[in-house]
Amino acid sequence: MSQRAFLAVAALVVVAGFLVSRVLTNQYYYFAAYVILQYVVLATAWNILGGYTGYVNFGTPAFFALGAYTSVVLIKMMNAPLGLQLVGGAAVAGLLGLGIGYLTLRLRGVFFSIATLALAVVLQTLFVNWEYTGGARGLSLIRPATAPLFGHYVQFLFEVMLILALFAVGVAAWIEHSWIGRGLAAIRDNEEAAECMGVPTLRLKLVATTVSGALMGLAGAPFPYFVTFVEPGSVFDLNYAVNSLAMPMIGGSTTWVGPIIGAVLLGTAQQVATVTISSALNLLIVGVILVAFVILAPEGIVGLIQRLARRREGDVRLAHGKAT
Amino acid sequence: MTSKRAPGTRAWISIVVLLAIAVGAGPWASIARAADPIKIGLGMALTGGLAANGKPALMAMQMWAEDVNKKGGLLGRQVQLIYYDDQTKPATVPAIYSKLLDVDKVDIVMSGYGTNMIAPAMPIVIDRKLLFLGLFGLANNEKFQYPNYFQILPAGQNPAVEVSLPFWELAVKQTPKPQTVAIVGADAEYPHNALAGAREVIKKYGLKIVYDATYPPNTTDLTSVARAIKALDPDIVFVASYPPDSALMVQAAHEVGLKPKLFGGGMVGLQFTALLTKLGPKMNGIVNYDYWVPEPTLKFPGIEDFLKRYQARAEKEGVDPLGHYLPPWAYAYCQVLEHAINGTKSLDQQKLADYIRKNEHDTIVGKVKFGKNGEWETSRVLMVQYQGIETSDLEQFKKPGKRPIVAPDKYRSGTLIYPYSKVK
Repeated sequence: MSQRAFLAVAALVVVAGFLVSRVLTNQYYYFAAYVILQYVVLATAWNILGGYTGYVNFGTPAFFALGAYTSVVLIKMMNAPLGLQLVGGAAVAGLLGLGIGYLTLRLRGVFFSIATLALAVVLQTLFVNWEYTGGARGLSLIRPATAPLFGHYVQFLFEVMLILALFAVGVAAWIEHSWIGRGLAAIRDNEEAAECMGVPTLRLKLVATTVSGALMGLAGAPFPYFVTFVEPGSVFDLNYAVNSLAMPMIGGSTTWVGPIIGAVLLGTAQQVATVTISSALNLLIVGVILVAFVILAPEGIVGLIQRLARRREGDVRLAHGKAT
Repeated sequence: MTSKRAPGTRAWISIVVLLAIAVGAGPWASIARAADPIKIGLGMALTGGLAANGKPALMAMQMWAEDVNKKGGLLGRQVQLIYYDDQTKPATVPAIYSKLLDVDKVDIVMSGYGTNMIAPAMPIVIDRKLLFLGLFGLANNEKFQYPNYFQILPAGQNPAVEVSLPFWELAVKQTPKPQTVAIVGADAEYPHNALAGAREVIKKYGLKIVYDATYPPNTTDLTSVARAIKALDPDIVFVASYPPDSALMVQAAHEVGLKPKLFGGGMVGLQFTALLTKLGPKMNGIVNYDYWVPEPTLKFPGIEDFLKRYQARAEKEGVDPLGHYLPPWAYAYCQVLEHAINGTKSLDQQKLADYIRKNEHDTIVGKVKFGKNGEWETSRVLMVQYQGIETSDLEQFKKPGKRPIVAPDKYRSGTLIYPYSKVK
């Protein structure tokens, strides 16, 4: 998809989202859609480091929580508007990504993953003991009741998350098709070989950790107004790590479309499961689908479709060959 | 075959028939609505960290709905509970409550179990000016001061202080009067609150804190903490902990031979069947908070019948077999709603809230009167001392005597064994 076509589709989606929010008043759909879109952002962000670069990051909750807590601080300090919260959340989480990148990117494979997991534990302990943001007992926030043009604030939050999702996907798509994406793919395939070929591996990996962290922080920034109650246990939930990893794996981790497919599929399944089968099946769904995909379609849905298309193309060529 | 009637006549007949159907259907429709059940919606922790308490609480609520329906329902309508599993995750709560209200069109919403599950539902109910009954939330309404919120945990209007107040009142009455105190708890929501409240009371009574520390919530061994406290030899050890670390603390105290004059206070979990039977005799002498125990001073009408039925059912459904901690309260907060609906003969949220605020309510956990911020007007936190536990048998806890109430005096049913070391 060309840049212009992407921007046109994105603009259309934003307008459609706005129009829907004017017509549909049932708030449940906005709450559910918000969660799914939040996962689109998280999965896309994870994929920049995990999918494009091949560095598996278990620290999603750390970046997400940092975005959320940055908003909490900004709200408490100056009753900051949502726009400022988004910028603040992305900036702080991006800086953390950069810092952590410097400290951990010399580690490879499982050691890098463990370091990112440890990051979440360290940050959680920090926030558990920081009374200003509510400490261990958490903090209730009062969100504005309405937003201009949107009526109810929840509709506004949905539209904001829709824009954030489009922004994250746009960034991921741009990286994938730029020289950065090609460099990251080279790192994923063989880091030593890439280094020998002159790819600035450390610099590119730092770009990946920073962008990925900033987008995760961006996803977390509106969370305090969404849930109106922030406590370490819920923002540092390991579910964010599991989901943001599982979604690109299921959708396909080598392209920007994969995380969207995975997030929409899994996110919707989880939302439906919450209000239908009503049990712990949520995580089980993720687990079972993940195992099934790893075995049956290791390259995710996108990879599966590409493989099927190639096979079909081969069959057609073979038929042509036989005919001539 | 064709009709001989003119098209105009046929049109008129159709209009008349349609009108007749419409006029006739009106009353039928309202009768059908009247026969619709009263839908009560809630999210409940059926999986995740609080599920062990969430499941019995839901069962108690289902028992209440069945009891009401057997009596003919409320306002002549049956009661139907619509519930979803909040997975003990606050982030699921907004979607659950908007689903209940916008899709399931429930008449009343009630809270799930615990402070963290109540908090995210508050903006939704406040936004729609609904009545909201809370189950075991600590100070959820402090910030909102929403007049239509009522909470069933009997921790009074200053829960952080009230939860340990009877412990300290009891302590300063003893001879020889204790002088030094060690306070310890987990780095988590409730312990932080309880320790802050305890510091306030300790200051008021002029006791001296010699140890004041917290430990990470996932600590798996507390012997080093118990040793550090033992080295200071305090008269009182006040512990504010969650179930896993409550068990660890009791075991650690035994292991290192910690023998203060008074031990316990704010340990969550010692009230639960799982820990009562796990720790058994090791709990003897500990003084800890509770909200209801089978002592003669707390035999409110209906409680024994409820527990008998609950325990029979719990065995089949594989949930908390004793049901002393949360189920009576889950049943009671439904009774408050029942009382209000019967009292106002209405489902009007404001009328129900006004009624609950102004009246005292008879429940199986006693008379309930709400005060500021929807909390109990007067605290009824009890201090019990575990006494005479010789085995880990469950049956012993169904009878009085194993957890006599030692404070406050109004509900006292036994004598405190003091100092703690005398028990061992």
